[in-house]
Amino acid sequence: MASVEISGLRKLYGDVVALSDINISVPSGTFFTLLGPSGCGKTTLLRTIAGFHQQSAGLITIDGSSIEHLPAHQRDVAMVFQDYAVFPHLSVRDNVAFGLKQRRIPAIEITRQVEEVLEVVELGKFVDRMPHELSGGQQQRVGLARAIVVRPKVLLMDEPLSNLDARLRVDLRAELRRIQRDLGITTIYVTHDQEEALAMSDVVCVMEGGIIQQAAAPIDVYLRPSNRFVASFVGANNFLKVENLKGESVLKCCGGSVSQHLPADPAGPVVCALRPEDISVKVDEDPSSFLNTKISIPVQIKEVSFVGREMEIFATTDNGEALKAVGRSDSNVIALPIDSRAWFCVERENLSFFKDNELGERV
Amino acid sequence: MDFSIPRHRPDFWTWITILILAVLCILLILPILRVLTLGFVDPDTGSLTLGNFIEVFTRNYYLNGLKNTLFVGVLGTLGACLIGIPLAFFTTRFLIRGKTLISTLAILVLVSPPFISAYAWIMMMGSNGVITNFFDGIGINIPTIYGAHGIILVFSLKFFPFIFLMTQTALNAVNKSFEDAAENLGCSPWQRFVKVTLPLVFPAVSTGAIICFVLSIADFGTPAILGRGFRTLSTIALSAYRSELGGPPTMAVTVSILMMAISMIALVAQRRILANRRYASSLTNLPVAVKLSGWKNAAVHFFSHGIVFLAMLPSAVVVYTSFLKTNGPVFVGGFGLESYDRIWRDAPDAIYNSFLFAIIAVTFITITSGLISYVIVRRDTKAAAAIDFLMMVPYLVPGVVMAIGFVTVFRNGMPNFFGSAVLLVMIYFIRRLPYGVRSTTSSLRQIKPSLEEAAVNLGATPLGAFVKITVPLIFPGIVVGALMSFITAINELSSTLILYDAGTITMPVKVYVAVLDGEFGLAAALSTILLLSTGACVYAVFRFAENRNSAFL
Repeated sequence: MASVEISGLRKLYGDVVALSDINISVPSGTFFTLLGPSGCGKTTLLRTIAGFHQQSAGLITIDGSSIEHLPAHQRDVAMVFQDYAVFPHLSVRDNVAFGLKQRRIPAIEITRQVEEVLEVVELGKFVDRMPHELSGGQQQRVGLARAIVVRPKVLLMDEPLSNLDARLRVDLRAELRRIQRDLGITTIYVTHDQEEALAMSDVVCVMEGGIIQQAAAPIDVYLRPSNRFVASFVGANNFLKVENLKGESVLKCCGGSVSQHLPADPAGPVVCALRPEDISVKVDEDPSSFLNTKISIPVQIKEVSFVGREMEIFATTDNGEALKAVGRSDSNVIALPIDSRAWFCVERENLSFFKDNELGERV
Repeated sequence: MDFSIPRHRPDFWTWITILILAVLCILLILPILRVLTLGFVDPDTGSLTLGNFIEVFTRNYYLNGLKNTLFVGVLGTLGACLIGIPLAFFTTRFLIRGKTLISTLAILVLVSPPFISAYAWIMMMGSNGVITNFFDGIGINIPTIYGAHGIILVFSLKFFPFIFLMTQTALNAVNKSFEDAAENLGCSPWQRFVKVTLPLVFPAVSTGAIICFVLSIADFGTPAILGRGFRTLSTIALSAYRSELGGPPTMAVTVSILMMAISMIALVAQRRILANRRYASSLTNLPVAVKLSGWKNAAVHFFSHGIVFLAMLPSAVVVYTSFLKTNGPVFVGGFGLESYDRIWRDAPDAIYNSFLFAIIAVTFITITSGLISYVIVRRDTKAAAAIDFLMMVPYLVPGVVMAIGFVTVFRNGMPNFFGSAVLLVMIYFIRRLPYGVRSTTSSLRQIKPSLEEAAVNLGATPLGAFVKITVPLIFPGIVVGALMSFITAINELSSTLILYDAGTITMPVKVYVAVLDGEFGLAAALSTILLLSTGACVYAVFRFAENRNSAFL
């Protein structure tokens, strides 16, 4: 168990900036997730911590001591790989024992620890199997057992579940989290799957373009995204142009009929974000019953697709902006002909506002 | 995946890279540079001059050698194409019985040394050959094998497997839909072959052709044995070297530069032509082999089996001859083991030397090629790219040239510092190293780098990860590489001829000398031993290689 501090970390490949001024603090025992689209730098950051890349600038410390001078094999940070990286020529036992042998632990002790850790990952019966006799999920359990058995200071996981099928992914997700909690091991986890990140983490750190966009508890990242990128990447979001009139923002699409006071007076243009699941669709109802209590946007229905548990409604506002709503399936809505009129209604507190510039900070 | 370690922290692999570069500098670059510079030096005054090249390009002796080399090189390659392409097409597009046998025999032809087939043809069609005498007996005077046409025949039958195996691989990877589309658009089968199939496999054909051409240019044994006054650059280079013993080998070196230039120009030209011809093809629609019937079926079978039979004939003749009863150099009729008896009396040292030098060289090749392929595959540095490029050079430098380079570097001014045995092991090492590197490299490319990273992450040093994880995983590739370099090392003739002395004679040299002396029985018995060890290695390669054909190319 150990805490990890990263400050001012930069990584350049020639002129390309892979990581730019990374500052992270991972308290001891935390499950810390790096979330972002491919190419955002999350794997580069993880591999830099592991020592497979050398940073161009900045400091990585574990429990207060810098690890920059340590080569990868002396860092004591165990990694779980996306492609499992289970040694194909070694049995499950020898795979798990590999790190212990490197640490010159007595043979009897190795046997005991290997069997113990294989029970933890529920592979007790497979100790003498060869990797090719195991399924993908079982191989990844070997990868996990091999990493945690050496009791590393930090556990690094590079998209460990992404090569597994959907159902197994969800099962193993819960198991990973359980084992991590039981051992109390500081974990840095890389994924591009936001659901995975939100479900497992103590802290979600959203990255894009080699820059940390937001690091916060999952619920805060979801409800209070710090900028427009986080708002669109974590969960889905609709963005509407807003006319910014001296602190009073007006949703332009509604011709002034929908107005909203902004908490502060931002300089420059602003966009409004509303999540599809916060939108309720009203058809054939008397508008006067909700017009004053909710933000109500008149729209034209373009497509309704029924995907089972829910339905997705695609519509356009009167000035042509596209909106998507998601809701519990309703046969009245599904039956709507294309181009029919409806209202999209949202509670005022569910609206977020972001600057309409490159950074897109929250207003 | 980038696995580079920054400059300020040199690790194990950085030191290995430096070591490899140092070895390549001494054993590869230095000899070639010495050859290149000596060609521009006046042997008498020691000043810089173009006079040597002027002499080569004005004297008929050299000019004819150049013309002859190009003549047999081009026609030999053409012959190999005319044999190899139809054979590849027949075996992939038609159902042929004994297809595996054909491939296996083609591989055996590929790896057996050319000078053996050259002299086997003498026994069949030389002045006193079996076939010559047979036709003589019924009153027909057929031309002997000596001269340009004989060399071209031997080259064609010896080098066609390169074209055949490469084209076969390419034909198996052509999406059948292309051919179907051509037919659908109105092409006859012949038009379809010429307009669609052949262009699609052109990259493979031309790569095979360039290998044939480069090997033909470099080949020493065939023109030396069959030439009879028809001299090529390789035989000229060796005679020049011998006549210049004592002084700087200026003319030998100048001719060598010319040979390297021809190989280089051919390779660059082929690369240029290929540059815009890379046809990626998805294998959704695999080509199928059609069953022929009637005379077509018979003709295709006759051609396919006839070719490999003809190509294997020299080896068969050699083995057969080795069991003929002899009295000294004379065949006295009937069978006997006198030839083998003579080996034990006359040439045990040749057998011992051949195996000793080859095994030592291959041991070094095996270790070095494991390290080199790791650097080439895993390290994304300029030095790694340079090593990768340098691994192509030994293919392009004829053995005679490399040996002359070795003499000028290692025997110049330090007599007896390096004995012949050491020089021979070193030259086998550097000339056959690419065979080992190529095999281990292609094995290593299939191993995920994350496996080594996992080992390092769990506490293994870079060397520890290499030994415990990488080496066991690429072991088949290492074995195939070792076998391939062993086959080519033990059959080496041209550079050995320049470097050997009384105590370091090898089997190929002994065969060559015996053939020149008319000692065909002795030559046959030694050649049989060579062929047997080669065949045993080929069998072992089949056991270890994942793709048996590509292991040999």
